[in-house]
Amino acid sequence: MLLRGKTAVVTGAARGLGRTCAVRFAQEGADLFLLDVAEDLHGVPYPLGSAAQLAETAALCEKHGVAVATAAADLRDPAAVADAAGQALDRFGPVQILVNNAGIATPSGKQTHEITEAEWSLMLDIDLSGAWRMTKAVVPQMIEQRAGSVINVSSTAGLVGYRHFAGYVAAKHGLIGLTKASALDYAPFGVRVNALCPGSVRDDPLVEGRMLSEIARSLDVAVGEHEEVFVRDQPMNALIEPRDVAGAAVWLAGDDSRQVTGTALTVDGGFSAR
Amino acid sequence: MAVTVSAPPPFAATADRSAPTRPESRIPPRAADLRRACHSLVVRAARRIDVAEAQGRLARAVTDQLGTGTPRLWTRRAAAASDDARSAAVVRTEAERPVHPAGPPVRVVLVEYTDDVADLVLVAVRDRISREALTRLAAQVLDGPERATGAFGPLIPPAPSARDAATRPSPEWGLGTPARAGEFQRVAFRLPAPEAGTVPGDARAVAAVSLALACYDGRPQVRLDVVPAHSPTGEPSALALTVDEDGSIAGHLEHCRSETSGSPGTAAATHAPAGVLLVLGRSLPGVRQLPFLAPPAPVTLYVEQQPDGSATGTCWFDEGDVDPEIGAMFAGRVAHVADQLAQLPGDSPLSAVSLLNTAEAAEVLRLGGLGSAAAEPLPGTPATIHGRITATARSRPDAIALTDESTQLTYRQLDERAAAMAEGLAALGADSGRVGVCLDRDAGLVVALLAVLKAGCSYVPMDSRYPEERLRYTASDAGVGVVIGDPETFPRLDGVRVIGPKELEGLGTDRAAQGSARRGDSQDPERADAGAASAYVIYTSGSTGRPKGVVVPHRNVTSLVDATAPDLGLTPADVWTLFHSSAFDFSVWEIWGALLTGGRLVVVPYWVARAPDEFHELLAAERVTVVSQTPSAFRQLIEADRQSGPEAGLAVRLVVFGGEPLDVVRLAPWFTRYSPSRCRLVNMFGITETTVHVTAQTVTPAEVLARSRSVGRALPGWSVSVRDTHGRLLPPGAAGEIHVGGAGVADRYLGRPELTAERFADDPLTGERVYRSGDRGRLRPDGRLDHLGRLDNQVKVRGHRIELDEIRSVLLAAPGVEVAAVTLHQETPGDSASARIDAYVVLGAEGTERRAFEAARRVLPDYMMPATVTAVPDIPLTLNGKLDTSRLPRPRIGSTEPSAPRIEDVPGTGQNTGPDPEQDTGPDIGDELAGTVLGVWSDLLGVPVRTSDNFFELGGNSLLVVRLLSELRSRGLPKVTTRQFYSNSSADRFIALVAELVKEAAAKDDAS
Repeated sequence: MLLRGKTAVVTGAARGLGRTCAVRFAQEGADLFLLDVAEDLHGVPYPLGSAAQLAETAALCEKHGVAVATAAADLRDPAAVADAAGQALDRFGPVQILVNNAGIATPSGKQTHEITEAEWSLMLDIDLSGAWRMTKAVVPQMIEQRAGSVINVSSTAGLVGYRHFAGYVAAKHGLIGLTKASALDYAPFGVRVNALCPGSVRDDPLVEGRMLSEIARSLDVAVGEHEEVFVRDQPMNALIEPRDVAGAAVWLAGDDSRQVTGTALTVDGGFSAR
Repeated sequence: MAVTVSAPPPFAATADRSAPTRPESRIPPRAADLRRACHSLVVRAARRIDVAEAQGRLARAVTDQLGTGTPRLWTRRAAAASDDARSAAVVRTEAERPVHPAGPPVRVVLVEYTDDVADLVLVAVRDRISREALTRLAAQVLDGPERATGAFGPLIPPAPSARDAATRPSPEWGLGTPARAGEFQRVAFRLPAPEAGTVPGDARAVAAVSLALACYDGRPQVRLDVVPAHSPTGEPSALALTVDEDGSIAGHLEHCRSETSGSPGTAAATHAPAGVLLVLGRSLPGVRQLPFLAPPAPVTLYVEQQPDGSATGTCWFDEGDVDPEIGAMFAGRVAHVADQLAQLPGDSPLSAVSLLNTAEAAEVLRLGGLGSAAAEPLPGTPATIHGRITATARSRPDAIALTDESTQLTYRQLDERAAAMAEGLAALGADSGRVGVCLDRDAGLVVALLAVLKAGCSYVPMDSRYPEERLRYTASDAGVGVVIGDPETFPRLDGVRVIGPKELEGLGTDRAAQGSARRGDSQDPERADAGAASAYVIYTSGSTGRPKGVVVPHRNVTSLVDATAPDLGLTPADVWTLFHSSAFDFSVWEIWGALLTGGRLVVVPYWVARAPDEFHELLAAERVTVVSQTPSAFRQLIEADRQSGPEAGLAVRLVVFGGEPLDVVRLAPWFTRYSPSRCRLVNMFGITETTVHVTAQTVTPAEVLARSRSVGRALPGWSVSVRDTHGRLLPPGAAGEIHVGGAGVADRYLGRPELTAERFADDPLTGERVYRSGDRGRLRPDGRLDHLGRLDNQVKVRGHRIELDEIRSVLLAAPGVEVAAVTLHQETPGDSASARIDAYVVLGAEGTERRAFEAARRVLPDYMMPATVTAVPDIPLTLNGKLDTSRLPRPRIGSTEPSAPRIEDVPGTGQNTGPDPEQDTGPDIGDELAGTVLGVWSDLLGVPVRTSDNFFELGGNSLLVVRLLSELRSRGLPKVTTRQFYSNSSADRFIALVAELVKEAAAKDDAS
């Protein structure tokens, strides 16, 4: 029970990596405030998490005996973000852990100059600015307690480039910059900020993940073909599972990593070691 | 060469400014503070609650009556049935989760169980929503307004009483760990329903808590903050109660009833908080109340009255203020006291209420060491001191026993010479009883002490430097027939034969040669009770003005060595010093500690003991391993060691502190040079009446950091307990008088049966004799003792035990002194060099300050002499009739013609206003030298100095002598030994001495 007595806010918690992290945190005893946009967004070509999926994550967490509350919020809306942070404060008091997991993977699959103004803005607004807005809303509670851990879920795309993914790569690189700068800002107050950089995470039907299949679709290849390409690039010869990432998140969230801040922790099967 | 100027990295400047380099010092509202500000309520509903409807009722109630926004009704699904332990944990988590000041003042959570039962948990800010309001709000949410009439206000404005956590008074008895502040413990207890009587439960709770507190605080005046059960505001009232232990139980209950009924007392908000908060409450069916989520006070008690007249109590304490074991013990005391208040007849005296039951008392006594014993010596080990030394002389005859400047004696030689001297004593007819020993400190002194024991007598040590009056008093009070000393200088007394050690030894040798020698007792098999014979009588300061002789038997000394030898690792390989006067019982430890463990004793000559640098050289040269020191003396040794350079060459492995309280912080510089694994420091608390030592505490850097006042646990075979003024045993934490039992308790005061009966009591609790020490202390939960000073007028000055009342009695006996008062003044706390005794006298017709001073000098040893005697028109007293030191005038320094003019501005002190016409430094002493010397004297003594002044009459003491000589050396003046200083202690003679030494040094330089 590495996180007993702590409360975590997890964004993008309706499914996928967000759900995996939430359930894993519940296993470790953390109370949870789960956020998701819980509706489809104009401009994102695939269905996003739903209210039902968010409730399902909450139910999976409650099985571990922890307290769970949920809220729907679009991270592009500063008022909605502030309201969600306020609700978390009302329900649980100051939180100790923030996982900025919410993000979109497409629209992508284009040459950089082919990306439209709207596509570019949408990507950065959610994947980069959304994390900044949550930080802005939640970190003051952590500063007040002189304790806290913020985990920004970036990607190997935050470390290296990928063809045809300029928006995503720019946003994920931006997240690492945000991580480093805010880590320096908050270190004097005992608040840590770290980035997690997963490689390609397998779509796990149990948590209803669909990231990889959406990327494959945007590249106009079959999922299996896409996976095979990625596996070939992985020194560990396997795709990352969601639980691999959640385990790293538990470590960054808990006190075992109390001297770790401003870092980008890769969980990529050795991909970026090449 | 090209010079490159590196540009600052981009953004560096702003990055540095943007955040403080260290966290702000102001403590943010942490979880503990949030929890202190909140209370909560859990109401059980044995049915399924429609969440949407309940949400609607909550919204109506809150928006109507609190005027805040609509709070959300949170739900939580528990994974188990309502009676499951996991569910209890869930509801406790919710009930203890504070609300945040930035949000709504109340949080409402519906916890739903798998068996269609629900708990409604309400958490609110205490000073926004009262306990009663919270109860009504719960009813409205569960059942609607028809079931819960009335508004659920009042809304209390944000608290004016928001207590600053930093100013909370921590109870003295709590012994908390500051680093654990904010960690809480709670202990449940029960208060019984009374057998009879009409005193309300709340008053009975107040009565029990106040009585327990009076015992823990050690005074009848008790301050307690109380929140009444129906307080609309939740604000505590300050109660000031007097617990009259001589009054009756009924009287105390009535006193508490009248103080708690009627109009609420003074709002505690306007007073400093008392440190102990009692919150009163009523049990409600189906409702669990938490009056705070974290205790607002260092000790917080919540007592909830039950319908049957009993009450359930919870004692919360902050580990920063109260040690968990002490907290649990305190809660148990409240319950134990409440039991007795309920059961004992009302007309019983309050002092009949005990704080501990028999089993608990036994446990506390065991904690203090009762029942512990040192390992038994091997069978056949002699029971007397001299018997054991003779055994060593047989088993290791050629081992060195004793060294001084000129002599070295093996154990065989020591034994033979002492035997010869013992024969001499026998020749004089002294074959039992007491023999005075008044010799300078050398090997002969030790031989003489052993000889007295071998002769079957007990020795009465007298310091040859004591004034004549005191020697005369001691010899006649002890009734000695023989004094081993200098017949030329020892005062003549009827019936007392004074004989020199050489003469005595010769007498014994002659007798042996004549064949008339009795067989030395050491060769006879010892009688079984030989250890019960008295070994020595040491005189200590007495409050009536008469020093009193403490009679100590052999077995106490052998027990002391047996008790300490294993832990301190004392072996024949050790080399000890005899540093202290034989009239001071620290010497008992030094002499017999060394000789009973087969070690070598190095006698430190008087003048070397007063010169830390020379003492340091001796320690190195003799490879001394075990050193006993008073903390004052050790500080000088630390300095001497520091000045001796990086490789001091000491072989010391053990330093034993005794004689006065140790301020561990002063040891920090020692630990920078010596690790505790190389040289162990042991602080020992003890009293002459308990045979030198009672407890031992190893001091490490951890104790220094914690500023520990612990003197450690009782030695094996010794025991300590702490008791109140009624002699009742006190629990750990509570301060009282230290009582010492066990192997070290002395026989008696010589010739003082009343005083003996008063201080050495048969203890009904243990069935043992115990010595009431007059020292204040407390037992820690781990059995270690904290020493907290004296209960009376006894003081410790540079290791010497002094009754101020003895000095006062001596002054009162001086001609022309009508009233006298004596105070101890310490300019710098913790620096014993700054300690000074001041005397104040009201003079009659023929009295003068000078005559009073001289009269005292004839009787008192130097260490007891007042530095000043000041005449006053009357002695100011407090309302209680005690000396009011705050109204005493500043002492006149030195008492020498106080009206005479003094040099106020001494050259060299930075206030030079030209030479003083009265200054007479003599023709061949340079003004510059005189100015330097007088300036240093003046700085050290804190007063202006003129050439006719004497260093000791201006308040100088042995510690200041060392500082003075070291200071003058650092100014380039020649080395003056302490011995030289003591013979030239007036300023003019000292300046002349220094001038002479300067000349000598110059002549030497010229010659070379």
